[in-house]
Amino acid sequence: MAGGTPIERGALTHPDVERLSDVNRDVLRALGRPGLGWWALFALAAAGVGLFFGSWGWQLYRGIGVSGLMSPVGWGVYITTFVFWVGIAHSGTLISAILFLFRAPWRQSIYRAAEAMTVFAVMTAGLFPLIHVGRVWHAYWLVPYPNSRFLWPNFKSPLVWDVFAVTTYFTVSAVFFFLGTIPDVAAARDAAKGLRKKLYSVISLGWRGTDQQWHHFGKAYIFLAALATPLVLSVHSVVSWDFAMGIVPGWHATIFAPYFVAGAIFSGVAMVITLTVPMRKIFGLEAYLTTKHFDAMAKLCLLTSLIVLYAYLSEFFMAWYSGEEIERTAFWNRLFGTYWWASWTMLTCNGLVPILLWFKRVRHSIPALFVISIFINIGMWFERYVIVVTSLHHEYEPWAWGVYRPSIVEMGILIGSFCWFGFWFLLFTRLLPPIAIQELKEVLPPPLRKQRQEVHS
Amino acid sequence: MTDGIKRRDFLKVLGVSGAGATLTACSTENVERLLPYVTMSEDIIPGVSTWYTTVCDGCAAQCGMWVRTREGRVVKVEGNPNHPVSQGALCSRGHATLQHLYNPDRYPGPMIREGDVLRQTTWEEAEALLAQRIQSAAGNALFIGGATGPSMARLVDAFVRAVGGRRVQYDALSDAPLREATRIAFGVDELPRYEISQARLLVSFGDDFLETGASPVEHGRAFARMSAADEHGSKGRFVFAGPRLSLTGLNADEWIPIRAGAEAALALGMAAAIAEDGAAAGPYASVVRAYDVRTAANAAGVSEDTVRQLAERFAEGPSLALGPGVGAHHRNATAANVAALILNFVAGNVGRTLHVGGGPNVATRPFSEMEAAIRSMAGGQVGVVMVHGANPAYSLPPSSGFAEAFGSVGFKVSFASAPDETSAMADLILPDRHFLEAWGDSMPRSGVMAIRQPAMQPVPHFDSKQTGDVVLSVASRLGHSLGGATFYEHLRGAHRAMHGSDPAFEAAWREALRSGVSGHDMGGASGPAQLRGPDAALTFDLPELDGDGDLTLLVHPSARFGAGEFANSPWMQELPDPVSKVMWHSWLEMNPRTAEARGIREGDVVTVESPHGSLEVPIRIYPGIREDSVALALGGGHTDFGRWANGNGVNAVTLLPAVSEQPSGAFVTVATTVTVTPTGQRRRTVTNEGSSDQHDRPIAPAVALAELGREPAGEEEAHGELKELQGVGGFVPVPAEGGEPTAFPLEGSRHGNYANAHEARARWGMAIDLDKCTGCSACVTACQAENNIPWVGEQQALMGREMQWMRIERYYEHVDAAEASHLDVRFLPMLCQHCSNAPCEPVCPVFATYHTPEGVNVQIYNRCVGTRYCANNCPYKVRTYNWYRYTDENVPEPMNWQWNPDVTVRTNGIMEKCSFCMQRIREAENRAVVERREDRIPRDGEIVPACQQSCPAEAIVFGNLRDPNSRVSQVVRNERTYRVLDEIINTQPAVNYLKKVTFHEVASGGHD
Amino acid sequence: MTKHWLIGGLAGVSALAGLAFVRAQDAQTRANAESPAAYAAGQPIAFPHNIHAGSEPGQSNMDCQYCHFSAERSVDAGLPPSELCMGCHQVIPGANNPQEVDKLKDYHARGESIPWVRIYKISDHAHFPHMRHIAAGLQCQQCHGEVQTMEVLSSRDPAWGGNNMGWCISCHRQEGASDDCAVCHY
Repeated sequence: MAGGTPIERGALTHPDVERLSDVNRDVLRALGRPGLGWWALFALAAAGVGLFFGSWGWQLYRGIGVSGLMSPVGWGVYITTFVFWVGIAHSGTLISAILFLFRAPWRQSIYRAAEAMTVFAVMTAGLFPLIHVGRVWHAYWLVPYPNSRFLWPNFKSPLVWDVFAVTTYFTVSAVFFFLGTIPDVAAARDAAKGLRKKLYSVISLGWRGTDQQWHHFGKAYIFLAALATPLVLSVHSVVSWDFAMGIVPGWHATIFAPYFVAGAIFSGVAMVITLTVPMRKIFGLEAYLTTKHFDAMAKLCLLTSLIVLYAYLSEFFMAWYSGEEIERTAFWNRLFGTYWWASWTMLTCNGLVPILLWFKRVRHSIPALFVISIFINIGMWFERYVIVVTSLHHEYEPWAWGVYRPSIVEMGILIGSFCWFGFWFLLFTRLLPPIAIQELKEVLPPPLRKQRQEVHS
Repeated sequence: MTDGIKRRDFLKVLGVSGAGATLTACSTENVERLLPYVTMSEDIIPGVSTWYTTVCDGCAAQCGMWVRTREGRVVKVEGNPNHPVSQGALCSRGHATLQHLYNPDRYPGPMIREGDVLRQTTWEEAEALLAQRIQSAAGNALFIGGATGPSMARLVDAFVRAVGGRRVQYDALSDAPLREATRIAFGVDELPRYEISQARLLVSFGDDFLETGASPVEHGRAFARMSAADEHGSKGRFVFAGPRLSLTGLNADEWIPIRAGAEAALALGMAAAIAEDGAAAGPYASVVRAYDVRTAANAAGVSEDTVRQLAERFAEGPSLALGPGVGAHHRNATAANVAALILNFVAGNVGRTLHVGGGPNVATRPFSEMEAAIRSMAGGQVGVVMVHGANPAYSLPPSSGFAEAFGSVGFKVSFASAPDETSAMADLILPDRHFLEAWGDSMPRSGVMAIRQPAMQPVPHFDSKQTGDVVLSVASRLGHSLGGATFYEHLRGAHRAMHGSDPAFEAAWREALRSGVSGHDMGGASGPAQLRGPDAALTFDLPELDGDGDLTLLVHPSARFGAGEFANSPWMQELPDPVSKVMWHSWLEMNPRTAEARGIREGDVVTVESPHGSLEVPIRIYPGIREDSVALALGGGHTDFGRWANGNGVNAVTLLPAVSEQPSGAFVTVATTVTVTPTGQRRRTVTNEGSSDQHDRPIAPAVALAELGREPAGEEEAHGELKELQGVGGFVPVPAEGGEPTAFPLEGSRHGNYANAHEARARWGMAIDLDKCTGCSACVTACQAENNIPWVGEQQALMGREMQWMRIERYYEHVDAAEASHLDVRFLPMLCQHCSNAPCEPVCPVFATYHTPEGVNVQIYNRCVGTRYCANNCPYKVRTYNWYRYTDENVPEPMNWQWNPDVTVRTNGIMEKCSFCMQRIREAENRAVVERREDRIPRDGEIVPACQQSCPAEAIVFGNLRDPNSRVSQVVRNERTYRVLDEIINTQPAVNYLKKVTFHEVASGGHD
Repeated sequence: MTKHWLIGGLAGVSALAGLAFVRAQDAQTRANAESPAAYAAGQPIAFPHNIHAGSEPGQSNMDCQYCHFSAERSVDAGLPPSELCMGCHQVIPGANNPQEVDKLKDYHARGESIPWVRIYKISDHAHFPHMRHIAAGLQCQQCHGEVQTMEVLSSRDPAWGGNNMGWCISCHRQEGASDDCAVCHY
């Protein structure tokens, strides 16, 4: 068990927390002087951001050829990583919006981090289409705007749908995120001094915590949650259509939309676990992020893992059942072709490893969950790699089959993207309350009850 | 001065239009200058091509050429339809001569060696020096020259006579054994003339006539006419007998994988089977009797039945047997050629499909002359040696002693226009003009004469001078008059002498320049010649091979490089070899069973060791070679030949002995055995071949000859109905393969991108007959030249980023080196299929690719953002992408002078693909406007895409599919017509293929 | 409240900046055609189009295609070879600026091309066939402006749309000409 204080397994409330003011103190402590660990991570992330933009800059200077992309594999690590980050972005809104609407009580402690993750993940994902195109300086042509040439984007193209889906999702999730932080930022404002205070004052938009403000806040919040909910389903459906609308064997399947949404939630929840475990440790938030929370997330992982595994098997089944030789070859090749290792990594990480989550002991072991979540992250990245690369490298025309090998620049950008994401997330943990203070307070026992439960671990 | 030369004097200044130089001109600093002509020819209209005729100098076949110039610079070469040899087609190497013209490695001017460095000098000084050295050499001059036109040859002869010395003609590749065999057998000292198109059974005993033979374009056309199924369902049969399938071999219907050197035995065995008692073989009756079928079968390593059956079919006639060519010259090559001639004689082919004499006037000089020259150089009997049009320091094995002998000569002169291994040793370099800048003449066969005329002013980067002019100038400095102050005058003088009156000559001269050919084709039918008794010792047995290695080394000329002359052309380096599909580097071909037995895999670098040398080269597994042989192509491993050639591959002659075959004196290419040992290193093969197996997909199907005409119409639709979503109308059936190919927009496609077609327009389409296509790849290079397609270099090609818009896919269906059997190799030229239901179009987010109202799938380069979605979604994988600024970075000045000004030069990040030569369509439309035609649709045949123009086999036809009378519509109205993958994915391509026709039943990969 | 305005203002400014970028990109090619460098660069010879092509008294009223001889036949309009200039200027010394005619003679005598500065240029990725536009009945002035009245040519003339595709396509649509991309771009 991580953390110094014993906590009852499965406790929903937070027995260590005695007073509401403790919440403010504990959560806002993260905003105080950071520890060495934070600085180390931050330095690493900053260096990675340098790597990220250095690699991208080199690619812009030399040409997209510095990647390993080739014919027939025109999409590779970049699109894989794009889909990966869009997928990661899903769970944040799922947790904060859908679970909010369903009044799932365990979301309070994690939704702030999950939402932040969403915003930063979409920010990261949004860069990848730009990194990936050959002439990024013309990428704005994908946006419909009136122009003297009478030219419009091709609304049949899933890439144009992507532009709408991703920008909409980013806008709504960012607004949702900032709206949710307002009361907490106000709390931080009250505790902060100097420059920080000014910053928080601006962001908190003059929050005073009056009844009327709470009333409007509540309305706005539920409204945005309702707005964001369909987006959770739509964004990744649209992203999946990038593939499903193509005629590439291995892409052209109707199952893609639900399959991608489930996969997105799966990877997103896993990423929340990956992020909250160290956050909990570094900022001493053990009292607020309890095994109850992790248990709930693990169950969600387990559920989506089963859906994803079902989708995998159904894809293989459909390929066989269709009788289409080219489709069959594509899926046979997926398992036993050049990229067999990627497919087996995907199946192992996403299908087999999560089986452990059936066991309560595993679900309640935070180190185990952390390790499993990393496996899932890897597996989900490989899932996209398998879909993109394995499908493209053996298509219809056998003469044109080829093997793609990612280049160093692509690896730099892939690693750099994690650092870019981490960079923002680390800043977030330092600048905004990483746990929703006001919602936590709602689930705490009334302040007058000063009893303390004696607990044995 | 005459009209002819004045015309070109006008081209004082080049280039009015800067169009096509760069795609984006973002800088505001550059002030673009327009440079008009000072004076101008009436022939030249800016923006309109001017065409000149000349003769290709790429190999000894001397095909006629049309040279397209724009604003004074040559931008493209094409075949001259008036020319009796090439008849309008041109091979890959012919196109690549353009890269020699603009080769940035050409010498900037005359050079004098001072110690280790070359100093550029003036022509005055250089010529004075040469004259002085020749004078002091006192009659000991040696002129080593390659094949040239007759006037140049006569001039050099006159020159060496005047100054004292001799001329040695040296050709790296020579048909001397065939010529000698014809002389021995028929007493005619000329190559025989083959009428391949008349034969119904063609047997090649190792003659690679389609790629490196005497006249590849001429023979390629004749072969396609012979072997393609005609409308009566008749088709000539081709049998290839040899240890390795060359490109020619891959086109055979049957392969008899005989042991190297067993050609004579097999030919004589067949002759014996035809002429049982041998009497028909006249003076060779005893020879024929000695080679009965059993002996022949044993020597060749095939079954007796094979020999007997082949002989029976051969006797039926009309048939034709071709003796070993340059790729199969062993120590008994002359005898083998004699054997083939005997076989032709006993089968009654002489005078029918084979005419004695009047064949291609190609290089037939024996290597033995060069051996004598080497001896005299080494013996110190040569004062000055001049080398023109030859590179013996590269093309002769080290054991020939050429380098030492040449090095020992006091003064060495090279006329090479660009560096080569021989000029690297020269003391004086007098760079010759490229043939497109120079005057000359050619005699491709007796009676046919064609003039070479300069198509442009010399490329100004290089201060070159025509060698004929240098010879005349040096001769006059030495006080000799050889007729004419310039080579042009000399040439005209020579041709004037052939005519009577002056006015007739002027008219004939102009006509010769206009049409590109003069004189008549006098190589008509000759009477049946009689066999004569041999006047030289002939051995018909298996030839001796050096060394005691366990594998026979087959060294053959390269379809891309010849003997190495084209190695500095990046087009040729990046053209996948028509057989192995390897680019840039060398490879050793090995049978898969041999490789497996030795634990060798594709890409293993091996040491090949012969008694004469050793090389390290990667392995290419090739089913089309016998288990006891390995093959290595000539042309690689240059050390001083320019930036693209140097260090690329290995030079196969290193492994060969410098022996000459007797009695012809030819250089022997199949001479030695080798041992092959892996080095433990590996090297990835640079190839565009993903898989040579079609995996039973409907890509390159075939139909058996016996099935032709039997297929009931409409059976093709048996694959069931395809349905397509129609707006609110739900799913409606769409005709797929069964639909009329002339219909456009197709039924069921009346929406979206295809709805805007209206009836008055053409619908452009293409037909490619796979029964004619030989896989020679001329179309690939023609397309590359026409459409400003860059090359990407070895590393990029290794990654799979080559950019040719066309590729020739080569699928093996049945290749068996273990026994004589039918052969089934399918060549498929793959280019953008211009699908009516194109998968690439809906996915492009910015409409950079879409359908024009005329049914062409176009790519708008400047609209392309570079998402590469279209390429992913293209089932044919015919879209290529500019991963870097290849057109800038890979194309040094003046190579960029070749850019076609009518085609946008693409840059970084842009997708591109076949446009059906849109610029030619537009040109034809513009012409219709200028000519004020009523009907603005170009006429049938007016638009000829570069690939069709170049195709020696006439396999490609382009035109308006909507016009039922157009040639393409007529061609596609054929039971063999199919569209690649259409039955599976309903792409409805505008490119229609005609299935290959086989003699055997189509077992697998059929889809027929 | 001021903070709200601040945020709103920031958002507005960034939206405007984005729009400006897009529009600027759109018009970038036009800017190239009008670049100050090209505009200010002096022609090697001060050739007055108005004297040659104008119809005022003292002007020669020459047809455009007398000098730009291939406009009717070719994609390029053609520039006159100096030989053509000399055809007249052999005997006409030039009334206003004889020193400019002398420059022409010098160039011609040296056999050197006159390095005219290009004024009208469309992008290399667009193909403009002059002959088809003339065949369609267009006047040179419709694109090049009233050249016969200009002493110094300028691509800033409002008639010249230069590299702006909108200018081309508007006319094509108005005149019922094709608006298929591949008509000009290939």
